[in-house]
Amino acid sequence: MSDQHLLSVSELRGGYGQIKVLRGFDFHVAEGEIVVILGANGAGKTTTLRAISGMIERSGSVKLNGEELITTKPADIVHKGVAHVPQGRGTLPELSVEDNLRVGAYIRKDDDVDADMEQWYDVYPVLRERRNQRAGSLSGGEQQMLAVARALMSRPNLLLLDEPSLGLAPLIVQDLFARFAEINKETGTTMLVVEQNAQLALGIADRGYVLESGDISFDGPADALMNDDKIRKAYLGV
Amino acid sequence: MAGGSTTAAAAVPGGARWQFVKGTAGYRTYKTVGVALLVVLLVLIAFAYNDTASVTLLDNDYSLSLPRIIKAISFMVAILGLQVVAGFTGQLSLGQGFFFGTGAYLSAWLVADQNWNFFTALLVVVPVCFVLGMAFGIPALRIRGLYLALVTLALAAIFPSLVQLESLKDYTNGAGGKIVDYDFEAPEFLPLDGIANFLQGFPLVGQYFGDGDLSSREANRVWLFFLMVVLAWICFKMVSNLVQSRPGRALRAVRDNETSAAVSGINLSLYKTMSFGVASALGGVGGVIYVAELGIAAPLDFTNLLSILFIVGLVVGGVGTLSGAVIGGLVIAFLPQWASDTQSFPGIPERWLQGPVGNLIMGILLIVITFVLPGGIIAGVRRLRARFVQVLPEPPAKLAAQLAALAGGGATMAQPPEPTHDDVSDGTTVASEDTPASSTT
Amino acid sequence: MELFLARIFDGLSNGSTYALIALALVLIFKATTLINFAQGEFAMFGAFIVLVLATEQGIPMWIAVMLGMIVTAAVAAGVERTLIRPFDPADHLPLVIITLGLFLLINAVAGIVWRFDPRAFPELFPSGNVFSIGNAPLRWYTVFTLITLFVAVGLLTLLLNKTKVGLAFRAVSSNLESSQLVGIRVGPTLQFGWAIAAAVGTLGAAIFVADPFRQLQPNVMLTVLIYASAAAALGGLDSLGGAIIGGLAIGFVQSLLVPYTPIPNELSLAGAVLVLLVVLLFKPSGLFGTAQVERV
Repeated sequence: MSDQHLLSVSELRGGYGQIKVLRGFDFHVAEGEIVVILGANGAGKTTTLRAISGMIERSGSVKLNGEELITTKPADIVHKGVAHVPQGRGTLPELSVEDNLRVGAYIRKDDDVDADMEQWYDVYPVLRERRNQRAGSLSGGEQQMLAVARALMSRPNLLLLDEPSLGLAPLIVQDLFARFAEINKETGTTMLVVEQNAQLALGIADRGYVLESGDISFDGPADALMNDDKIRKAYLGV
Repeated sequence: MAGGSTTAAAAVPGGARWQFVKGTAGYRTYKTVGVALLVVLLVLIAFAYNDTASVTLLDNDYSLSLPRIIKAISFMVAILGLQVVAGFTGQLSLGQGFFFGTGAYLSAWLVADQNWNFFTALLVVVPVCFVLGMAFGIPALRIRGLYLALVTLALAAIFPSLVQLESLKDYTNGAGGKIVDYDFEAPEFLPLDGIANFLQGFPLVGQYFGDGDLSSREANRVWLFFLMVVLAWICFKMVSNLVQSRPGRALRAVRDNETSAAVSGINLSLYKTMSFGVASALGGVGGVIYVAELGIAAPLDFTNLLSILFIVGLVVGGVGTLSGAVIGGLVIAFLPQWASDTQSFPGIPERWLQGPVGNLIMGILLIVITFVLPGGIIAGVRRLRARFVQVLPEPPAKLAAQLAALAGGGATMAQPPEPTHDDVSDGTTVASEDTPASSTT
Repeated sequence: MELFLARIFDGLSNGSTYALIALALVLIFKATTLINFAQGEFAMFGAFIVLVLATEQGIPMWIAVMLGMIVTAAVAAGVERTLIRPFDPADHLPLVIITLGLFLLINAVAGIVWRFDPRAFPELFPSGNVFSIGNAPLRWYTVFTLITLFVAVGLLTLLLNKTKVGLAFRAVSSNLESSQLVGIRVGPTLQFGWAIAAAVGTLGAAIFVADPFRQLQPNVMLTVLIYASAAAALGGLDSLGGAIIGGLAIGFVQSLLVPYTPIPNELSLAGAVLVLLVVLLFKPSGLFGTAQVERV
């Protein structure tokens, strides 16, 4: 691949101890795109994101703007511009909402942190209302907003979202995804979303990959996937 | 667990100089020779160290006296108790000094004031410590890991002030310590003098066995040594049998995986509490041996520092192995003593040879072993021995039958042996050197 | 009544020390769920540094205390880097063994360097009494000990709440994985916790032996650690405020137990152990702690 993508992954393998989950596959995400990875439970979606952000043993190649990150430690990967919203939100329950956002900006040394925080409060006004509350006291939807806002506080080049819809009511999820599309459009933040709710995810995505038992089985533009019979049967329940 | 160790042993390439197959005549010979060598060694120790109480090295006299060896035996038994709790159930008790002290004081009182002897005292010490330990074990059901370590350490810290209580002074003699005046009279029929004279007759080495007949004090000391060796041997044998019994396998199941042990119908609470009881009883026996040798139970001998020293012995010897307890006991009895015996050492300023140098070495040893030899010294020894001797499993047919029998009664078969620790069963029969060649590398 | 007051005053000054050592324990526990058994020995070592700086170098006492805190913080940071970090933080057994090894090591080094003869510690606070109610004097020592405790806690709170490293420390304490995902380097952050804990502990030990009724020797913290861990457990092991209340409570238990119960003086430690046992048995999260599942 001569044209350089923001994220180029090849021959990605990884897993937990003896259990190998990812069986060596390639994919890429271009600057400004929203890319979705679909797949059933246990297909390796979460593992893929954890492999990118360095949270598990991995091998192969993960390049960000051409820079190899396969041996880089998780904290350093964040410094390179990758923000990861883990499954189950990963908020810091004992810290206040505001402190959670501040932690999100941990890697930044500029003075615009407070301004950014206000910006995300405008996007998610409910967080402003609860800025002094413990993050653990928020509802699931609010925690997801907080987790996303926190990740964006680091001004990432690439945002990894792991099953943002998990455990949330359908209306909240719709709103959440609509907001992802807006954020992508307004800030140009590239997003790699892992999701079981294929309909919603493909609705905002540019392209999609389908992961089956640790390997990519389909890929293509979002609307092509949406109209593919097999995909529709397997993931859209139609 | 026979299944785990044998398969692993079979995987070791046959690099060892000698190989023995379990259940054959050659293996029985190997075992018999091992036992015989051990007995000869013990006799040599008894008579050699009786008189030449020290070795001179670099101008320092290093004590090798028999009393200290007996002290080491008392520590071995106490550490054996810790092995039961720490090695077999994966819990850390920092309170072993409490039971060691209890055994020491109880036997001191019974022997000094009630005219019992030390062996009848055991009949009281063992059940008392067992019940006390069970009582310890009940909180341990709810308090886990670190918290348990904290609580047990705290309990051990109370012991010295407990025995110095005004209301107990009539029994414990307060800060002065309880003195026991009791001689282990060597029976007349034992040819101790004969053995001594025989050993003295050897050219070159004879001088190390003293000169002429033993004094009655020396004879009594040798007698005490053998009695305590036998007592300790009984303790080790009992724990070794316990390890292989159904409850023992259950205990190890607790260590390996509590949930799986629970679902397989093992009465977790009972066995956990029991392991504390057994451990504490062994601590008590250790205390009895300690007083039988020293003749005094003094409060400051049983501070929480002692409990921590037992942990040093446990870790340095090797957690989860019975032979580790032997090494651990020797280490914590001799190293601090040798450290204080060292009055001068090239390159080390004199100031650093005085004071609690023993504890300094113990602390460093504890840290170093945790880093470089997590299985303890015994793991190193086994690795070394595996180069010379290898014990192969029994022929498959016989083994399969045994495995089937085990599987019928046991719940632990599914657990593979942990790679980092030698499995408990590897070290069970210390006295008879029955351990299979190390399979862990 | 006089006796009661006198014992309350005693309890306050003892409790303040327990609170400071408990704070040190809590700082490390919060971040790593590890109990540092060598915490008391770090503190004792620090107190000796203070003593040497003040008496042999003639440095003013309060500056000596601060230097002592810095020295022990540096030592603790080095210890964390070399002896603690190489181990898997989830596997407690080797870590506990390492801290026990440190316990023996530090205690022995102090014994070798400074011997076991008790030494008088220079005065840190004005002597004399603020007032006396009958035979119950409120000593300046008690008042200043309390003030120091609250100042220390205030500064600690500022450090944790208003600085970036404090924020990182709280984040790591709250959720290790998420902290990594926002770019916090966990190792140096925990190292910071160890350093701060050692400094706070040194302050506690210095105050403890600055009482004119006490002297400094290497074993001085052996039982204090037990009282302090009872205090920390009572407060919930991961709550800074809890450590203070727990410390003062244990101080009161200790000073009130003896005159008002048949428990003899020698066993006042047993009172603390009893509190520790009861808390861990019936309310393992203590009074103010976060309930958590302990799996070792």
